[in-house]
Amino acid sequence: MKLIRYETSPVYNPSTSYTSLRDEMDRLFDVAFPTLSLFQRDGILGDWQGEFPLDLYQEKDAFIVRAELPGFRKEDIQVEVTDGTLTITGYQKTERKSDQKEKEAQTTTQERRVSRSVALPEHLKLDKIQAAYENGVLTVTLPKREEVKPKQIAIEVK
Amino acid sequence: MNDLLTPKESRVSAPAVPRRTLTPCYDVKETSEAFILTAQVPGVDRSSLELTVDALKLTVLGRRVFTAPAEWRALHREIPQADYRLSLELDHRFNPEAVRAELSQGVLTLTLPKAEAVKPRRIDIKG
Repeated sequence: MKLIRYETSPVYNPSTSYTSLRDEMDRLFDVAFPTLSLFQRDGILGDWQGEFPLDLYQEKDAFIVRAELPGFRKEDIQVEVTDGTLTITGYQKTERKSDQKEKEAQTTTQERRVSRSVALPEHLKLDKIQAAYENGVLTVTLPKREEVKPKQIAIEVK
Repeated sequence: MNDLLTPKESRVSAPAVPRRTLTPCYDVKETSEAFILTAQVPGVDRSSLELTVDALKLTVLGRRVFTAPAEWRALHREIPQADYRLSLELDHRFNPEAVRAELSQGVLTLTLPKAEAVKPRRIDIKG
């Protein structure tokens, strides 16, 4: 019997619930939330830096996770699965040159990292996991292992 | 910001735009030659991006191309079920003929060159 993780949703976050507040904001403002706040904006969106939305689907043979991560390079996105938990990490380094004359131009380098984890409730074929990144959306397909058949264990009563 | 003042507009269904629309996160930078607009539009590809420019207005309409297959059951959903719409007013500073657009991994970069008259011009001082 597998120990069941005591969570209401398979997707958990270190910070407060991403969905509900974001949905409310969407309704009020009809504005999409930024991923990684490319633009150094603080204020109402300040808390949401470092978050990205993701969808989790299930079909007969696999789990599918879709995460919106616009503007990354493939090599800067890391997908890891350990012990039934999928972790998606995106890393971005931006260099900004101030628009001044050559001598005085300053280069600002910013590094940012976003990461989210998803608990996957069933056994997976770890070696058959696939990930694709297209149009700024990362799709991870995690095939399920066939269900382990119950074994009969003979118990001797002494 | 225009869209904030008329939120109902984006919800009215018109034949061409069936889903509600969101304003994408965007930023505008200015250089001496042009204005550069960067917008985050994940899920949009070249075929579903519509860009309309005229002398007064720039409209970007991007549709998310993905639809989940029927046999997929959604366990958790955060990605908005909406398309992107960005509408900006232009003025004499822009040259609408020379707009360039690039779309890469869900980030749209629009380069709006400034009209000649507004580019900074050095004036030589004689004397």
